[in-house]
Amino acid sequence: MLSYKEGSAAKGFFYSAVVWLIIPVFVGLFMAMLLSYPTLQHYIPSPLRGPINFGRLRPMHVNLAIFGWLSMAYVAGIFYVTPRLTGVRLYSERLGNLALVLWNIFNIGILITFPLGYTQAREYAEMVWPLDVLFLVTIILIGINIWGTVRRRKEGKLYISLWDFMAASVIFPLVYAVGNKVWDFSGAYNGLTDNIVNYFYVHNLFNIWFTTAGLGLAYYLLPKLSGNPLYSHRLAVWGFFGVWTGQHHQLWGPAPDWLEIMTVVFSMMAAVPTLVFSYNFFMTMRGSWGRIKESIALRFFVVGALLWIFTCVQGLAHSLRSFSMLVHFTNWVVGHSHLAFVANYSFWAFALLYLALPHLVKRPIYSRSLAMYHFWLTAVGITIYMVSMWIAGVIQGVYWLQGGIPFIETVKAMHPYFVARMLGGAMVVVGQLLLAYNVWQTARGAVHTKQKVTATLAPQEAI
Amino acid sequence: MNREGLTYLTVTSILVLLTGILVTIIVPALESPLPTQASRPPYTEQELRGKLIYQREGCWYCHTQQVRRPEVEIGTVKVRGDIGPESRPEDFVYDKPALWGTERQGPDLAHVASRPYGAVKEWHILHLKDPRAFEPDTIMPSFAHLPEDELEALADYLLTLK
Repeated sequence: MLSYKEGSAAKGFFYSAVVWLIIPVFVGLFMAMLLSYPTLQHYIPSPLRGPINFGRLRPMHVNLAIFGWLSMAYVAGIFYVTPRLTGVRLYSERLGNLALVLWNIFNIGILITFPLGYTQAREYAEMVWPLDVLFLVTIILIGINIWGTVRRRKEGKLYISLWDFMAASVIFPLVYAVGNKVWDFSGAYNGLTDNIVNYFYVHNLFNIWFTTAGLGLAYYLLPKLSGNPLYSHRLAVWGFFGVWTGQHHQLWGPAPDWLEIMTVVFSMMAAVPTLVFSYNFFMTMRGSWGRIKESIALRFFVVGALLWIFTCVQGLAHSLRSFSMLVHFTNWVVGHSHLAFVANYSFWAFALLYLALPHLVKRPIYSRSLAMYHFWLTAVGITIYMVSMWIAGVIQGVYWLQGGIPFIETVKAMHPYFVARMLGGAMVVVGQLLLAYNVWQTARGAVHTKQKVTATLAPQEAI
Repeated sequence: MNREGLTYLTVTSILVLLTGILVTIIVPALESPLPTQASRPPYTEQELRGKLIYQREGCWYCHTQQVRRPEVEIGTVKVRGDIGPESRPEDFVYDKPALWGTERQGPDLAHVASRPYGAVKEWHILHLKDPRAFEPDTIMPSFAHLPEDELEALADYLLTLK
């Protein structure tokens, strides 16, 4: 039942990721509509008002985007890249396909349990206990596959991407287990500790998983798409290690001051990998900037990389208590999370998809122009989204610190920005629908009328 | 890379994680053990049921329960400073999980029951059913679809947030 075919696991993960991308973007758009026009709730039939309510849709949007779309796209990328860097086949396609099935069951579990109100009420860790265990098993199976492939490698040198994948595959399950407290049915710690561990997990889901594995993918994409060798491998290795805590997500909170101060120091240390990657990125790209005109994958990658640098700069700024006091709890943070999630990590995943899918299905992407529209709709839409949220956040922050202004005034002031966010979000949704259509047509082997022009190119150059 | 390289990679990665766990979980647990003197009494069965409804309906996505030191005097829900005193670890002793929250689409609720209207159970129930009757510009959804006994429990939980 589970396929042995080379590349089948990577392909399956890409297809699943695209399906799980469509659901959370629609949920997100609907939530943006509710925040802009809350009376829409009256049009929902009353038996459905429980499941279809902001408080139950929000975890579905967030967790399906994190675990359904981006994480699955990452695994697809890792399963695609690892054999190419080691010179051998994936350790076990069958194991990879088993993980694919389990992961999809996990996502379906989220889709069913959250609207019904089964939640552990902890950020990014809302999944109930059986789902936690299922997910943990799945990512351990994926880790075994990565390490098994590397063990059999023909290539002597371990390229930095493999460092990143292997480290992520060890630490991610540990972080997930600790963060979700998988040995306890309730999944929660007590009081203060609960919050400290929750944000240790929240932060490391991004820092250990999306950043570490993401940089691994980025270090593969960068030389591949730019056509230049990586400027400095040694420098990349230097940027590999950092120390991670998450308490800067709750500065000025009830946690001990020493912990908050220490986390600020650690956060500043994140400047090292940021600078290392930036330098490597700009030096490797020398002479290849013009290629972004031909390659949509490179275009996604370059925008993602530039915005990754921006995310890190913003993140460092938030970690200072003074700036945190202004923007914490406001919509600024919503803008920041979409910057990190959509505009950089997802853009890298799109670049990867456009690069890898033609190799996996052995034919070019169905339509270059659809991919082009996908790029522009997503890029412009998410920019409108982020900028409106940042403006909204600063307004909230300034109003709150002013004192004496009733809270409802800040709510009223949000309206135009919420509407702008909704429109930007709608553009992103349309963009993702084009992506899904394009991937579907590529998968079923449809031939686009304009494809004759690109058919003469090698698959990787066709897009 | 050779075998030692792999070992180095594995050991260092795990060390980095252990450092993270040490400084965020173990040291805090030893350094500042959970206060034995809680500032609030343990939840009754009814209040705990209300807290679970608060969690289930995702109230904590839009309402924080966390007052930060610099905003104690200035934080405003209706009048200046009515956000209440700074949140302390002893406020959360019986919370599992703690619902500090991350966003304020609505006002902070750490001390909602200390505000004049917030101390009235009927106010909470009516407000949950139809927030727009109290504040026409609110973006809060109505919870009129919840059964009456759940609204009662939820209100009882909110009354513990003094």
